[in-house]
Amino acid sequence: MLIKRITIRNFGKIHNRTFEFSDGINLLYGENESGKTTLHTFIKCMFYGIPRTRGRAAKNDTYRTYEPWENPGDYGGTIWFESEGMSYRLTRNFSRERPFAELLCQNNGALLNPDDGALEEILGNVSEAVYDNTVSIGQMKSVTGQDLVHELQNYMAGYEGSADSTIDIQRASQMLKMTRKGFQVQENRRKKAIDSEQIRILSRITYLEEEEKKLDARMQSIRGKINELDPDGSGTEYIERRIMKTRRKAHYIGLTSALVSCILLILAMFMLRRSFRAAAVICAVIVLAFGFIRRYMLGREADRLAEYCDEWKEHYKKLTWEMLHTERALVERQTAIENLREEYSEGEDALYRISPEAEEVRAINIALSTIESLSVNINTQVGTRLRERTSRILAGITNGKYTEVLMNEELKMAVNTEARVVPLERLSRGTLEQIYFSLRMAAGELFCGGVPFPVILDDVFGTYDEERLKSLLMWLRGEKRQVMISTCSSREAELMLEEKIKFNELLL
Amino acid sequence: MRFIHLADVHLGAVPDRGSAWSSRREEEIWETFRRIIAGIRENPVDLLFIAGDLFHRQPLIRDLKEVNRLFKTIPDTNIYIIAGNHDYIGRGSAYKKFRWAENVIFFDREEIMCIDDDKIPVTVYGFSYCHQEICESLLDGICPEDGDGYHILLAHGGDEKHVPIDFRDLMSSGFDYVALGHIHKPHIFGNGEMAYPGAPEPIDRNDTGEHGYIEGWTEGDTIRIRFVPFATRCYDIIELKIDEDSTREGIEEELTEEIARRGQENIYRVVLSGMRSADLLLIPEKLKACGNIVDLQDESRLMYDLESLKKQYAGTLVGDYIRFFSGKISDTEEKALFYGLQALLSTSRER
Repeated sequence: MLIKRITIRNFGKIHNRTFEFSDGINLLYGENESGKTTLHTFIKCMFYGIPRTRGRAAKNDTYRTYEPWENPGDYGGTIWFESEGMSYRLTRNFSRERPFAELLCQNNGALLNPDDGALEEILGNVSEAVYDNTVSIGQMKSVTGQDLVHELQNYMAGYEGSADSTIDIQRASQMLKMTRKGFQVQENRRKKAIDSEQIRILSRITYLEEEEKKLDARMQSIRGKINELDPDGSGTEYIERRIMKTRRKAHYIGLTSALVSCILLILAMFMLRRSFRAAAVICAVIVLAFGFIRRYMLGREADRLAEYCDEWKEHYKKLTWEMLHTERALVERQTAIENLREEYSEGEDALYRISPEAEEVRAINIALSTIESLSVNINTQVGTRLRERTSRILAGITNGKYTEVLMNEELKMAVNTEARVVPLERLSRGTLEQIYFSLRMAAGELFCGGVPFPVILDDVFGTYDEERLKSLLMWLRGEKRQVMISTCSSREAELMLEEKIKFNELLL
Repeated sequence: MRFIHLADVHLGAVPDRGSAWSSRREEEIWETFRRIIAGIRENPVDLLFIAGDLFHRQPLIRDLKEVNRLFKTIPDTNIYIIAGNHDYIGRGSAYKKFRWAENVIFFDREEIMCIDDDKIPVTVYGFSYCHQEICESLLDGICPEDGDGYHILLAHGGDEKHVPIDFRDLMSSGFDYVALGHIHKPHIFGNGEMAYPGAPEPIDRNDTGEHGYIEGWTEGDTIRIRFVPFATRCYDIIELKIDEDSTREGIEEELTEEIARRGQENIYRVVLSGMRSADLLLIPEKLKACGNIVDLQDESRLMYDLESLKKQYAGTLVGDYIRFFSGKISDTEEKALFYGLQALLSTSRER
């Protein structure tokens, strides 16, 4: 792609200016604050629109920064460019009141709407992020050596892992893991609370089961005692019959002996002989005495039996009462155990239910693994090629002093000279800037795909010494891409004149 | 004639196990039941209906004794009880041999029985659960017997596994009042011919809204009822709308104020919705500390315009990432998309 001409109506501090560009090297010369960066921003905004932030950050967004103070209704301009043999004219007005965008294909006069995909296609689907990563190259931001090394390593890692030098996968993962930790802590706390409750329930169940066992044993022993007391289940029937029999027997014996002695006495009255009479009386007395003694003894026995029967009954009643109560207590324990088991299984359900926290953890895990695998993908696609290309450019601009850029697993970089491997920390700022330049140029070639984009070098060479700058400019001459160097020093122009490098000079 | 209709008291339930207020709630469920009985003692009603699930699980004898003791304190009120699916009359149920106070009538069979009240002209119909589930529609085609007085039916259930009910049929079946139980949310059918009083205290986080019991009285020939809110606390859903200007402190303050406004004692489910800016990092634990919060659902989305981001970052990891998730619509995947994007973009270096 080639940018041919730019007309700015109003954009930031630039008003009604036209710039003509040529292919090859364009040198944009201007003092500090003269609008070089404004020009670059203009080009980007023409292609991608002006980002507008909403909410709190809106005050400092790009839109407000470059909004003209005097003519806010006329905010924009026109850019003429060529892409794959076709010439286009792109006009935009960013103003809020009269927004306007028009893309004219000058070859066939077709008018296109740039914002419905036509422009994207012409730009070879180079997205804004890719543009940011490849087209515009500024100076490294860090000041001290160690920070520079980090910055460079981050760039390289960003490119390799995400095709975007600004992305830091490690920090992103760290952030995700921290968020995940928060949810895990909550989830664990929840589970722990349920767990301790479950343990409480279990120990309660064990205790109750112990009691159940005891009560069961007591039931058995009571049942045994009842069996012993009443083996055939007839209860007091037998003994009561015996009492009755004994009492009846006593009664009969009493009655019989009285009757017999009465008969004997009556007989005695009729006896003539005195001795006979005396014998009969004695007999009657003996019979009566015998009867009474027997009756008394049988009565005693019956009383004893009755007493025993009462005792038995008392005992039996007590045992059955005990049995009933033990059984009731047992059922009560069994119900309690049943209820606790139910509660326990509800607890188990709660433990294995997916909580909102677990759901968040799952989502974060998906995010982490997706980032990881997509990053590996990008790495296999561009990683090696990026390093090869960077190495080649670095060799080109250092006249073969450094031949290879290396990066290990821990994302530590080093360069290979003809003789040895030098870690980044040992290199001078100038060399670091050279590596940075090589990396960004390589990324531009790799990520822009089919359409080589212009490369914009915005005040990059401040720290370059004459030697480095010269070889870089020589290398640039050989490149096929359109190059825009913006600078506030006259060194570049002088060197190019000296080396007879053709360039187009523009003054801001 | 005046009556009170209770159901689903769930004595013995331990709501929100694992949270700080759990055991307090267990106590409150009992306490509210006692308060209802105390209320009847102050201002006696003729009848008290308990339409099932008086207990959360199988009652123990000591639970029954306590409940019975309370019933003895309101001797002028006849109490009609049926067992529900939670306190069903199982094999070893303590209900079976329990000797109730004289004023308690317990329906102990899984078939519809009808009992004439011994004081006022009311016939009460009802049945208990002897199993955890009853899938038959026991109430289909039921109608009151001939006879003077009011005819009131007690029934527990109303879903497919617990006595499916054709509510319209039942409402026009001729009963003067149908006292239902099982559904925890109060609901009065028609002009009050039939009602679920709901649980007097909410039992879990799904029991949002007001809770209490139903009070009924007669006006001429008809029975009128009204719902009496009585619960100590309620479960409530607070939806917090987040916008691009929300900050963590602001949201926490808003939640605290909202809880103070609606009642500190209540238990809340908090739902975050709306769009939030990428730099808003919420700490769920801090939010949960703003009150009795039983769960916190974050349905807010980051304020990313996915389509334009996809375009802007095409050809880089971020672009690939958005593309990877496009077309996937499960909630978890959507969350993953935003988590990843937020992490990648908020940790990215300035260009």
